[in-house]
Amino acid sequence: MAFDAQDEVSDEALLVLYGNGDEAAARALTLRMTPRALGFAMRMLGDMAEAEDVAQEAMLRLWRVAPEWRQGEAKVTTWLFRVVANLCTDRLRKARGVALDSVPEPEDDAPGAEARLLAASRARALDEALLTLPERQRQAVVLRHIEGLANPEIAEVLEISVEAVESLTARGKRALAAVLAERREELGYTDG
Amino acid sequence: MADLYEQERELEDFFQAARDTAPVPSAALLARVLADASAQQPAPVAAPRRGIWRRLSGAVGGWPALAGLATATLAGVWIGYAAPGAVGDLAISVWPGGGVAYDVVDLIPSMDGYLTEDGA
Repeated sequence: MAFDAQDEVSDEALLVLYGNGDEAAARALTLRMTPRALGFAMRMLGDMAEAEDVAQEAMLRLWRVAPEWRQGEAKVTTWLFRVVANLCTDRLRKARGVALDSVPEPEDDAPGAEARLLAASRARALDEALLTLPERQRQAVVLRHIEGLANPEIAEVLEISVEAVESLTARGKRALAAVLAERREELGYTDG
Repeated sequence: MADLYEQERELEDFFQAARDTAPVPSAALLARVLADASAQQPAPVAAPRRGIWRRLSGAVGGWPALAGLATATLAGVWIGYAAPGAVGDLAISVWPGGGVAYDVVDLIPSMDGYLTEDGA
């Protein structure tokens, strides 16, 4: 695709190009950033339709901030994750209680399906377990272990200290392990 | 009960499964995001259209050079019309009596004798 040529260009440079009216930069940023925003929102909200709304709104804010964006001031991903985190917080406050059933059940009959089903079951179990965590722990764990951000960047996203991030992820993981331990056999683990 | 290391390893299995099944944005969502991008995008910073005069002035060095050219042209036209009188006056001013007949000055009067034949 034509966007491949943009792979070497940094997110920040693409955003400045977009601000200067470059249409290819708009497409490249859309393909690069929307999945990140959607993934984080989905893990936070547990609802695809809500997550899509949040991703679109976060991207809209990115487009609006582009003309004033200065290279070197911040990373686009850090900025975007912060906006997604805040939008998700707003939605969670408005609608306490999240629909766990909205995570789709895996359906797969193709060869090799068993392994894929197991992985899908584990991902689903994790999603459900994540939704039982306090919001800040969930944000920290998702950003660290699923989105792959480093602790200093998570600290910037959540506007807390690195020590606080470490504490949140440690507590979050202990809580996750406790929830998932009850489903070990169902999820393909055997004791011993 | 799994020990701490085992617990960490198992959790990593879950995180890996989650990374492998990351939600993919639908085509409809991407289209909506792109539509927003187009609507919000500032117009490209286009170079202003340059007319023939602007390009000509650029070629000779801009307005200061054009002003010099215009001055030189006007001066040429003025000199062309006004020159005959002025040049005459100038000639008189630097050469007083330029308009009258010249006196012939005999620089070597003694030569006259040699120049005339038979002493005439």
